[in-house]
Amino acid sequence: MKLEVKGIRKSFGDKEVLHGIDFHVESGKALGLLGRNGAGKTTTIRILMDVFHANSGEILLDGIRFVPAKHRIGYLPEERGLYPKRTVIDQMVYLACLRGMNPKEARESAKKWLSRLEVSEYETRKLETLSKGNQQKVQLAATLVSNPEIVILDEPFSGLDPVNSQILKDVVNELIADNRIVIFSSHQMSYVEEFCDEIAIINQGEVVLAGKLRDIKKEYGKNRLMLAAENLSLEELADRAEREWADLVCVSDRKKDFLILELKEGADRRKIMAALAASDVEVERFGRYEPSLNDIFVVKVGEEE
Amino acid sequence: MKRFGIVLKYELKEYFTNKVFMGLTVALVVLGAAALFLPRFVDMSGFTGVKVVGGGSEETGGESTEEEKALYLYVDEAGVVQLQILQEMFPDVDWQEAGDADALRASVEAQDAEAGFVVTGATQYEYYVYNKAMTDRNPDIFGQAMKLFYRIQYSREKGWDLGEITAMYDVPVTVTEQILNKDSGSNYWYCYVLVIIVFMLIVYYGQMIAVSVTSEKSNRAIEVLVTSTSPNSLLFGKVIAGAVGGVFQMGVILGAVLLSYQVNREQWGGMLDMFLHIPGNVLISFAFFGLGGYLFYAFLFGAMGALVSKTEDISKSVSGLMVVVMGVYFFSLMQLMNVDGPVIKVLSFLPISSYSTMFARVAMGSVAIWEIVLSFLILAVSIVGTGMVGAKLYRMGTLRYGNPIKIGTALKDLRKSD
Repeated sequence: MKLEVKGIRKSFGDKEVLHGIDFHVESGKALGLLGRNGAGKTTTIRILMDVFHANSGEILLDGIRFVPAKHRIGYLPEERGLYPKRTVIDQMVYLACLRGMNPKEARESAKKWLSRLEVSEYETRKLETLSKGNQQKVQLAATLVSNPEIVILDEPFSGLDPVNSQILKDVVNELIADNRIVIFSSHQMSYVEEFCDEIAIINQGEVVLAGKLRDIKKEYGKNRLMLAAENLSLEELADRAEREWADLVCVSDRKKDFLILELKEGADRRKIMAALAASDVEVERFGRYEPSLNDIFVVKVGEEE
Repeated sequence: MKRFGIVLKYELKEYFTNKVFMGLTVALVVLGAAALFLPRFVDMSGFTGVKVVGGGSEETGGESTEEEKALYLYVDEAGVVQLQILQEMFPDVDWQEAGDADALRASVEAQDAEAGFVVTGATQYEYYVYNKAMTDRNPDIFGQAMKLFYRIQYSREKGWDLGEITAMYDVPVTVTEQILNKDSGSNYWYCYVLVIIVFMLIVYYGQMIAVSVTSEKSNRAIEVLVTSTSPNSLLFGKVIAGAVGGVFQMGVILGAVLLSYQVNREQWGGMLDMFLHIPGNVLISFAFFGLGGYLFYAFLFGAMGALVSKTEDISKSVSGLMVVVMGVYFFSLMQLMNVDGPVIKVLSFLPISSYSTMFARVAMGSVAIWEIVLSFLILAVSIVGTGMVGAKLYRMGTLRYGNPIKIGTALKDLRKSD
């Protein structure tokens, strides 16, 4: 399956908040939908789920207009919420039935997901009596209870401790391996990098960067090297680079443990290596610099600001 | 439709597994029934005028036993008192003559006697009582006795036959009523009670529905719900469940009370007929119009609930609606005295007021079948219309958090989006 969002525009009153959103995602892959608070991610997701109607644009599934009611979609909203005074199993069965399962199927599936997320023991307890972390796991189980073809997770890791995060990571990986479409929205870029093959960065209602994460990283890392020395501090190394190898590189950025150098025109890695070899610098780290998604996000969203 | 059924079932479960809701229902049923079965087990003949004998009943005529009699004192300074008349007019009282006014006052003050009367003239007396109850009728009855003493004395002085004069003045007139349509006098009170019941149903359960909708916004469950099913299913399911819950509770309580009274009517001597002996046609019109009016308002309460994000803001959101409900309520009660007047006729066709005014006309006034049918059709169409607008407001309001949305703004936004 291929889900395509094409040219979505949306206005609230006189204000246009989405100015033509485009992205796509395929089965067995995860898309990272990124953006600052208020960028338009949640509005895009709500349009995708037919909660809001777009003013223009279209959403296609395998080339045909996407009708959410005809598909099982699991949505974990950023603003968590279920019924605090109802039992865990009751509300899970309810949500599964609303999404098209029969009560027997729904109960079996609810038990399965509660067990998978290691919260089976709470199934007959009222939600409000559970800890925040366990409530979060129940919410995740409720998202997945209908065995959705499309899973939309908005900040799924918030509120989870490392052990529970690992359980969720395994679950997300299983969903991807099980050929589901996963749309993953988070500010925790490390998780996005871990799961997503593709990303779409939305800023002020527009997609400012979209594509395969690997290609984007390659593109943003092009002509950039990282360098650290055992016998020099980063300041001394930067000073040497600017004095002795100014015709080859310039210092582009300084990280905690290494410098990022940008190759000048006509320079390449071999020439730098030769220059380093000829110097007294004891190289600790040297290689192609691959920016983190966080760096790319900050640069791209910063540029747009 | 299937999703509506799922929502309805889930929401109904909320009511029927709620311990407070069910406990209150059972408690009120038991209390209501127990109160109406009371004359079977406790001698209430002083109140009901019916003495229960071995499961049956007989009229008592109001006599009471010797040990129940209260002690009243009197001092006859004018020499007009006739003890036999006092004993007849105060059957539950043991009369004793006190030595003087001071002795009488001391006895009442010491609470040895319940009351005391000092007759100071043919048309004057003093009444002594320790604590005067709101329902104390002693001065009225004693006043009547004093008038009688005066008449007897006056007639004797003039040589008149008081028996003959009294018989002439109080000649008994026999009336045989032939009511050809409605008896407003006897229908008034249960109509009054039923108007209050529908009003309570609308206000109490309407608020519950609004709270239920707003709670889903405040606990953010709505985020998951609106992405799982349509807002129409959610609102209709919620409102109909509230209606079923409310009608169930009210129906069970009212049913238990009416049935218990029916079973014990003889023991009550029919004294509660004006409230509880309701004719079938009035109950049927009450069921249709009462339920219809309740649904009409329930959708509006649901929509109003969607316009706020916090339960503490509900009162602001529903205040306009409450003004309408209260206005209709008071107007309906005021107009019960004039059920064939033009005002109530107009109100009985408006969906905001037909729930109480049309069934009042059915119970007490002259109304043609076509009027009932037309009024109900208007109400039914209005319920559907309110449901549709309510669902649109609900859809628009559910995911808008923050400050309460004014109804005017909401309707304007709806028109724009249409």
